Amino acid sequence: MRNLMIKEMKLSASVLSYLFTLFGLMFFLPGYPILCGVFFVTLGIFQSFQNARETNDILFSALLPIAKRDVVKGKYLFVCFIELCGLLMMGIAVIIRMTVLSEAALYRNNALMNANCFSLGLAFLIFGLFNDVFVGGFFKTAYKFGSPFVTYIVLSFLTIGIGEMLHHFPGLESLNAFGTEHLILQISLLVSGIVIYILLTYISCRRSCRRFERIDL
Amino acid sequence: MNIVEIRNLNKSYPSFHLEDVTFDINEGEITGFIGRNGAGKTTTIKSMLNLIHPDSGKISYFGKPLKENEAEIKKLLGYSTGSVTWYPRKRIKDTIGIVKKCYDTWDEEAYHRYLDLFGLDENKTALELSEGMKVKYNLLIALSHQARVLILDEPTSGLDPFSRDELLCLFEKLKEEGTSIFFSTHIVSDLEKCADHIVYISKGKIVSSLPKAEFKRQLSKEGENLEETVLRLEGGE
Repeated sequence: MRNLMIKEMKLSASVLSYLFTLFGLMFFLPGYPILCGVFFVTLGIFQSFQNARETNDILFSALLPIAKRDVVKGKYLFVCFIELCGLLMMGIAVIIRMTVLSEAALYRNNALMNANCFSLGLAFLIFGLFNDVFVGGFFKTAYKFGSPFVTYIVLSFLTIGIGEMLHHFPGLESLNAFGTEHLILQISLLVSGIVIYILLTYISCRRSCRRFERIDL
Repeated sequence: MNIVEIRNLNKSYPSFHLEDVTFDINEGEITGFIGRNGAGKTTTIKSMLNLIHPDSGKISYFGKPLKENEAEIKKLLGYSTGSVTWYPRKRIKDTIGIVKKCYDTWDEEAYHRYLDLFGLDENKTALELSEGMKVKYNLLIALSHQARVLILDEPTSGLDPFSRDELLCLFEKLKEEGTSIFFSTHIVSDLEKCADHIVYISKGKIVSSLPKAEFKRQLSKEGENLEETVLRLEGGE
């Protein structure tokens, strides 16, 4: 699996996948829907899938001395690696905004979502949707990715929109907590996001392995 | 001794059926797989590499079923096709740098020997190679990891007569070293030159799988060469 990961990173990956992880730093932007940064990270991963299709990467991988299903596992491993790099950027932004910048007027007067554990939990959820809808959808055929990507765009922007709206509803203000306010609730929401991410990715990967075994390359 | 066994392979497409394909590949032999375009050669070969999911049938290498021992078996196989290029904008040495990590049997000395023999420049990208050189590039990968069985899909297509002759001589040399070779072709003279065994497929069905001498004895008419025999059989006589 280590060699497969090296293959993914050096041969199949688009350089944009790495560069676009920096969009995780959009969590620093005030007055901007910060979860769009999550979408841009996945846009970078999409470029790698496009690259893989153009370069016969899937067929090449299937000919390596590995089981056919390991081709799928290698792709998921790479996708998760990029997502975790993006999440690292977002995590750094959240920690800084929750601590040293928690009282900054720039962020206090922000009508949009605050960068906190809840927003990070939603980032995990959107990445989970990407893995399930887009990556899982790609492995139905191992070459068609238009329709899975459009479906993912709709779902991710719905999630971003709902996430942005929620804290404006009475009783849900605590979702937009600053600093260490409502910390237990905030951490619970982050953990929920992580659990959903792991579940969606695991289920999607298993389903894709099964489907890929039956695909004719 | 049979090292590859294909039994009752079936695969249906809307306009094509591979029906009960059964044959063996013997150790240390060159087996030619002949049939016209669309006869089912590539479908069979892709099934042998688990790239295609057959509807039914069994494929085993060295007595082990492919499905259950895929990774282990693929280490012993070399595959080449003339028509597909991997990572066209990457330099050959960059792609091979990754490939070699995947094989614990990679032979660096053999790699450089074949690189020289084929006249390949490892600093070129696959896109810069001619069709013939692309075939050699794929062969280079297949030959450098000491594969015991080479499965080659139309390796001589697109090669000039000199390169084709060189390649067929190389097959003979590899056979002497104990490598088994299975190659598909629609050029009958390739079989005449180097095949020990001929598997003939037509319209998705195996017509015969026989040693070359036996193939000629059973199917050729008097004074007919192999090409004339195959043409006659394809013509339905």
